[in-house]
Amino acid sequence: MIVTSDQELKIVFAGPMGAGKTTAIRAISDTPPISTEVDNIDRALCDKESTTVALDYGQLLLQDGTAVRLYGTPGQERFSFMWEILCGGAMGVILLIDGSSSAALSDLRTYAETFHRLNPNQPLVIGVGRATCTDGRQLDEYADAVASRGIVAPVFDVDVRQREDVLLLIETLLCILEAQAPEADHAAG
Amino acid sequence: MQPASQRFAPHILDAVRRQLVELVATNTQITLAVVTSADGFEVAAHPDLPMAQRIAAMSSSLQALSEAMAREASLSRSRNLIIEADSGTIVVLGIPDISPRLSLAVVASGSEILGRLLWVTRSCSAALARSLRA
Repeated sequence: MIVTSDQELKIVFAGPMGAGKTTAIRAISDTPPISTEVDNIDRALCDKESTTVALDYGQLLLQDGTAVRLYGTPGQERFSFMWEILCGGAMGVILLIDGSSSAALSDLRTYAETFHRLNPNQPLVIGVGRATCTDGRQLDEYADAVASRGIVAPVFDVDVRQREDVLLLIETLLCILEAQAPEADHAAG
Repeated sequence: MQPASQRFAPHILDAVRRQLVELVATNTQITLAVVTSADGFEVAAHPDLPMAQRIAAMSSSLQALSEAMAREASLSRSRNLIIEADSGTIVVLGIPDISPRLSLAVVASGSEILGRLLWVTRSCSAALARSLRA
């Protein structure tokens, strides 16, 4: 499907707990996001005060009139039933990874495989936050990690608190959607 | 990962389990009772069914969603979550004045009367609050 103006798109933000999904949606949503954060008692897994248990929801209107509905998933595997629900009808997935985590690469493989399985025909774009990339080598490792699973996805070094960084992920996803569109759609668009 | 059940003293968990056992024993239409942390961990359940952990995670998600929806609709605080299905009912109630926040999810078969189910679930929730504060 080609991305044209005056249409609605659904994009899902996925990734492990603490990767910045809620922050990313807050950074770009035109309206105050709907949040389902509660106190986090599992400080051993991730030392943060709150955690999303159902979804985040925000909205973004692009310059061409495209309305993007932004859904954030809970990160923990026990909420995987929400992943399936939220991925229904999604145009693509933005996978966020905490680059400072010692489990970053294994998290990437696990979540990329899981969400690719849920959305096999939909593009995946990867944002690595808190990464210490000095020469790009680390990003190559992330790209290689997903490629080793047969998944092709662009990888970006991002600060999800920065609107421009999150928009870059969304624009990349939209570019992939356009590139995947049949010729007829391009001609019509 | 430390299970939520390890965050409470064993004697408190024993008291919680006893109350869940009593709730199920005295209300034969209730097929499962689960106490859940706000972030989706099973604290205690009776009977000990494999689905209890998933029901715990789902009840925390749905409760958070119902609270978000009540806020969005300017309805203040969400109190109960009720799911009426073809062959049964699920009620999720917050356990009052407990930190960290906990809730009680109860699954009942179709023949249970909703008002009665709400009443016994609320009574159990209040008793659980007393145990957890002890």
